[in-house]
Amino acid sequence: MSEATGTETMAEGRRAVDGYDLYFGPVHPGSGNFGVKLTVDGEWVVAARADPGYLHRGFEKLMEYRTPMQNAVLSDRLCILESLNWNLVHAEAVDRLCGTEIPERARYIRVIMAELSRIQSHIIWYGVLSKALGFDTGFMVAFGYRDYVLDLFEFVTGGRVYPAGYICPGGVRRDVPEGTKKRIEELLVKMETMLREFEAYDSKTIAARCRGIGVLELDDALRLGATGPVLRASGLAADVRRDAPYEIYDDLDFEIPVREEGDAFARSIVRRREIEESIKIVRQALDRLPAEPLPPVKPKAAGKIPEGEVYVRNEIARGEAAVYMKSVGESHPYRCKIRGPDLLHMIPVLEHLLVGAEVADVPAIYWSLNICPADMDR
Amino acid sequence: MENEGRRTELLERIGSRFDLDLRVADDGTVWVSVGEQKLGDCLAFAKREGFDHCSAISVTDWPEEEAFELTYHLWSYGHKLLLTVTSRIDRGEATVDSAIPLWGPSAGIHERELHELFGVEFSGNPDLAPLFLENWDGPPPFRKDFDWRAYVRETFYEEGDPRERSYWD
Repeated sequence: MSEATGTETMAEGRRAVDGYDLYFGPVHPGSGNFGVKLTVDGEWVVAARADPGYLHRGFEKLMEYRTPMQNAVLSDRLCILESLNWNLVHAEAVDRLCGTEIPERARYIRVIMAELSRIQSHIIWYGVLSKALGFDTGFMVAFGYRDYVLDLFEFVTGGRVYPAGYICPGGVRRDVPEGTKKRIEELLVKMETMLREFEAYDSKTIAARCRGIGVLELDDALRLGATGPVLRASGLAADVRRDAPYEIYDDLDFEIPVREEGDAFARSIVRRREIEESIKIVRQALDRLPAEPLPPVKPKAAGKIPEGEVYVRNEIARGEAAVYMKSVGESHPYRCKIRGPDLLHMIPVLEHLLVGAEVADVPAIYWSLNICPADMDR
Repeated sequence: MENEGRRTELLERIGSRFDLDLRVADDGTVWVSVGEQKLGDCLAFAKREGFDHCSAISVTDWPEEEAFELTYHLWSYGHKLLLTVTSRIDRGEATVDSAIPLWGPSAGIHERELHELFGVEFSGNPDLAPLFLENWDGPPPFRKDFDWRAYVRETFYEEGDPRERSYWD
């Protein structure tokens, strides 16, 4: 940009600035530890280049040096916003390799905790999307309600955000404390109140900023590797819980919310409807929860993982999460590949959606994907 | 049961087309292993058979056998089946054709990651720029023979410093 001098006319000054680079993140309040370099012409984004790596901790390599019980704790950190779901993917991979039979009650507890974690993650998304749109009330309300879920996580696992590998190979670390059922039931009522509040905001604020923004066509969604709510908002009813059921999902009755529009508003409706479905799932699981108490799972010293390989897929709040684990019969895995939904959502999908968007819509598009740098960088 | 039938039919089709090492795991996933020469054909065949989602691509390092094992995890939204194609390639000259023509950018991004972390070349992939590491000039860090403990010790700790001495013992 040329320095404006007193002799330049306004028009000349303007000509000198036709296009510049704009960094969105990594220190933007809504970006997380991740950035996108935007090339902007006037008010329009003409190119976008994702800039990942700020949270790369090398988990896949670290897991090659640790036992499954240690890795269960590491798996919390794969996504700060939904650690219990990642606990479950990792635990299932080890269980399948070892051929472990999981007690019925533990499988129910796993699903209840994973679904509450999904609800909690969707609440964070709602809060941060509101913040990104300049709608601070939504942010405050969402984060207020999220605390109720965290209280429950603390009551059951001991940790509010990181459950320290509560869902671990062999089941769950320990049985739920007395009174959990009642507390969850009360929590679900609060969640329903929250949904009614969200719904009231949708018709005005969220719709005004998100409708018709960041449209992802189904063809593009498939080509770019979108999964989860992003794919379902583009019109494909694909959900791992339904297509390849794990744990007890086969026995549960729930719907897969789908929208055809593919815009940021559709993605927001799909997620809000998913909270409703998760509430339904938790209620059913609570009703059928077997009464037989669970013994705590104790880590086996010098336990070996039998030789073999598995690829386990789960549906987490953001989309498809998977773990490829290969063992050569040692106490730690030989290779553990982690597939998170956000590597795809934050790089190919985001770059695709941002090109041609208006600068003011960038935060809405960015947060409509509900991205989490932690599971992208790993 | 419906899936069962589809799976058997599909296995027969793949089996008759290629001379393959093929197995069905207890969890219903299908695992196929092919030689390096047939990998491209096999992947293209899988795409035509409806495996429209490239869930992940991974590399396993076998330094003693001088090989990289590539694994392609493919999901079919139509058949609701998971197919994993594995193939071993030479570790010294680790180059394979990119899967971008088949699955587009969703395969490209996994290849970009593997290029950075394992040093595998994917010919035909136009964007293999580093993803996670900044100013890294060492060997690809996820290879088995990269000793990260030694790297951390030598880069970040002083042997002469009494407080950091324990890292060197």
